[in-house]
Amino acid sequence: MNELNQLAVTDEMMLDEREQIIDQLMREYSDDILHLVYTYVKNRTIAEDLAQEIFIKCFEKLNQFNQQSTIKTWLYRIASNHCKDYLKSWHYRKIMLNNKIFDHIPSKLKQVEEEVIKHSEENSLTNAVMNLPIKYREVVFLHYYEELSLKEISKITSVNINTLKTRLKRAKELLKDKMIEEV
Amino acid sequence: MNDPLKNLKSSMEKSIFKDFSFSNERKNAVRETIRTNQQAQFHIETIIAILESVQYESKDGYNISVQLFQKDERTFQKNEGQLYTLLHLLENKEILTSNWLNNKKYYSLNSKGKKYLATYKKDTDKQGLSLNPFITEASL
Repeated sequence: MNELNQLAVTDEMMLDEREQIIDQLMREYSDDILHLVYTYVKNRTIAEDLAQEIFIKCFEKLNQFNQQSTIKTWLYRIASNHCKDYLKSWHYRKIMLNNKIFDHIPSKLKQVEEEVIKHSEENSLTNAVMNLPIKYREVVFLHYYEELSLKEISKITSVNINTLKTRLKRAKELLKDKMIEEV
Repeated sequence: MNDPLKNLKSSMEKSIFKDFSFSNERKNAVRETIRTNQQAQFHIETIIAILESVQYESKDGYNISVQLFQKDERTFQKNEGQLYTLLHLLENKEILTSNWLNNKKYYSLNSKGKKYLATYKKDTDKQGLSLNPFITEASL
């Protein structure tokens, strides 16, 4: 019976207050979150859908936020995990199978996603970063685009700082190779 | 040698993130979902009434709403959409199952739903029993 009761029970936390917090989060971080999501999924519409789900999730989980980290870090963490869940999901693995395959083929053979192609002449750096494997792309993006410290990134991704440093170094090597290749 | 990644932000802003921001429509969609979720808190009697309405035969949403109306369950009056939200929720919780027939979705109880209903009835029966003596006493 418990489950049914849970459905029926009213949440005691101030709903207005929670709504205001989400509003504020959207005002301050929605573009950053959207761009973060895009770097994981490389598709604008899916990125928008996921970003929307992320803010709804935050609203639902708001009473689980313990003041141990900043709310920004918490929001990013939810976003990052939500994207990774999506990439693991049935939908993504079956429907977006092609993308998955090209993620695993060494970079030289990689086809580039439509949207990226459009801008490829304009910008090879962006392109090269977007084609990095996820674990490198993630840290590069959070550090250089979102301008977060390694400490914050460590909290968001639950990856040790030293591992992050190694990944950044490795990412730069990969990028350098790629850029040289292109020239 | 300076860090080529220093240019990443402007490079991305000019390319893949150009004209790409979280629109007001999207923000409103979030607000709307939040608000609907807030309203989506139902009384246990409402849920039971739905379960009862489909316990002997499967019914589509419209027939469920008619039955609820007959039972004087007015939660969804002028707010029929909410009924479908709740049906969907119960389906997700695997309390109801559904199948499509002639473009209509028919809901019925599955084993978990039957169990819930039985437990609920048993509990209220007990309460009913324990209350009965007092009622009879009072009416004497």
